[in-house]
Amino acid sequence: MRIVIAEDSAVLRDGLVALLADRRHEVVAAVADGDALRAAVAEHRPDVAVVDIRMPPTHTDEGLRAAIALRRDHPGVGVLVFSQYVETQYAAELLASRSDGVGYLLKDRVADVSDFISALTRIAAGETVLDPEVVTQLLGASRRADALATLTPREREVLGLMAEGRSNAAIAKTLFLTDGSVEKHVTNIFAKLGLPPSEGDNRRVLAVLQYLDS
Amino acid sequence: MSATTSVSTSTGGLPIGGAIGQFLLTPFTRRALAELLYALISLPLALAGFVYLLAALYTSGLLLITLIGLPLLAAALLGARGLGALTRRAAAALLGLRVDAPPAFRPRAGLLGWIRSGLGDVTGWRAMAYLLLKLPVGMLAFMVAIAFWAYSLAGITYAAWRPFLPGQYDTSGGWHRGAQFGEDYYVDTWPRILALFAAGVVLLLAAPWAVRGVLVLDRLLIEWLLGPTRSSARVRDLEESRAHAVDDSAARLRRIERDLHDGAQSRLVAVAMKLGMAKEKLDPDDPQADLEQARTLVDTAHRDAKEALVELRDLARGIHPPVLDTGLGSALRTLAARSTVPVELHVDLAERPSPAIETIAYFCAAELLTNVAKHSGARHATLELTQGSLLRLQVGDDGNGGARVGVAGGLAGLAERIRTVDGQLEIISPPGGPTLVTVELPHR
Repeated sequence: MRIVIAEDSAVLRDGLVALLADRRHEVVAAVADGDALRAAVAEHRPDVAVVDIRMPPTHTDEGLRAAIALRRDHPGVGVLVFSQYVETQYAAELLASRSDGVGYLLKDRVADVSDFISALTRIAAGETVLDPEVVTQLLGASRRADALATLTPREREVLGLMAEGRSNAAIAKTLFLTDGSVEKHVTNIFAKLGLPPSEGDNRRVLAVLQYLDS
Repeated sequence: MSATTSVSTSTGGLPIGGAIGQFLLTPFTRRALAELLYALISLPLALAGFVYLLAALYTSGLLLITLIGLPLLAAALLGARGLGALTRRAAAALLGLRVDAPPAFRPRAGLLGWIRSGLGDVTGWRAMAYLLLKLPVGMLAFMVAIAFWAYSLAGITYAAWRPFLPGQYDTSGGWHRGAQFGEDYYVDTWPRILALFAAGVVLLLAAPWAVRGVLVLDRLLIEWLLGPTRSSARVRDLEESRAHAVDDSAARLRRIERDLHDGAQSRLVAVAMKLGMAKEKLDPDDPQADLEQARTLVDTAHRDAKEALVELRDLARGIHPPVLDTGLGSALRTLAARSTVPVELHVDLAERPSPAIETIAYFCAAELLTNVAKHSGARHATLELTQGSLLRLQVGDDGNGGARVGVAGGLAGLAERIRTVDGQLEIISPPGGPTLVTVELPHR
């Protein structure tokens, strides 16, 4: 993959560059603020951009603003927004226009290198990756808690993984279930939450998120 | 008076002549004329105010029997407030008298709340009292002003208008054209006319002082009744310092969060990232396993972890220095020992101040010593802590001086923090030095 990194902390930026290079990915640019990020993406057309939310000059949400602009201006570039906190509000803004080729992860996730790389690969391929923390917050904050309460614990687990953008096969592997039983859970969840069944991971995520956030 | 003489001696080449000139010109200064104007409008204002007072009290008193009386009285008090504000403004414009505005009217919610607040409005009642007392004071000021100015002008211009006076006979049958004093004293000879002229000049010279003197009464009334009461001024000070304290602590929390986010938190993410990479390098099943690389990664992670520890320790010490727990004295000794500029320390502390005061004193000392090291160019500094009715911290240095409270500098932050506990900050720092900063804090 060809990757652009925007991160103002030098120690993390250098670490990310080393980590990706070690996995034979090409970091075409590593910058420290939103403007430089937009310039670098326009110049290099990477497969994916890794964007820290808090960067100079204001250290609030310029990374998020830059990420939203990238998704508008360069639909082909995957964007992973990367932060030390997750805010459901930020997730909602990020997913507002469309939900493909985008991710929102806690910085902690980089400690599990393989998972992190696979998340990047999935985003570059146009999938959606949300941090389990975002999903937990959304599940906790949902105003339709009554409908959620009808889900079994196993169905809640499956729903969480669906919201993270996992496919049925991946969910089966994670939970040590057969594909068939995952499918059965998914059908049950859609039925209990009143969601129309649909094809493809991303629409699933979007449907679930819309439901949870409504 | 002292202002006038001091100006003349400092500007005039001939001090005495200058002073006399100044004195002769006093009646025609801007200030004297403004005061005269104030004294003249005092009468109509005093009368109008008194009529307002009577009308307001009388009507609302009459109507008390119906329900409309109370709201009317509340409205009248509010009106009195307005008249008070008008008076303050006139006094500021004409007398140069600056009196702070009393606290603004803050009614409770609803019509009944408004009436209750209006009736209990101390400022309104005090303004009413002013309107009452202003009547004699204003009339007196008017009369004094008229007496001095009118008689002096009449005396000075007497020679000009004497020919138009009607002639009259005295008791012994002599014919006179002139002002009559007593039974048979007419001002119709030149010596007498000149004497009257001289009297007019004396009155003219005395007039501004007389007016100024009689206006002292009005000034006192305005200060006493139309300004904020001592307790309301205190409340305002407290509100201000509370707002500062809240701002200060919010800013500090924000800074701590920033420091954590940019420092230790980022380093720990890097540590986790490098250990994650190392773990994969050590995986025996992985064809990419590489012991040498793993060792390098663990090495850098180890270094990052140690740096994160240092950052966390500094941050924790910035929030609350643990050494303060053993007392302000030993905390200051630590500070002095750590300073790059040699510090002569003198601590005289019989009993411990409250923890909040200790913390503020400590951070003041830390900030001041940092300033000495960073900006003063000093070779030697002193730090003194003494305890009297107040806790007094003094930091001095033999550096370049020129320290002052800027808009957003460290000293401005100190000043605000000190103000939150009613303390004082004094900076003596002439260009070229030496600098002596004194912080006075209450004990608790």
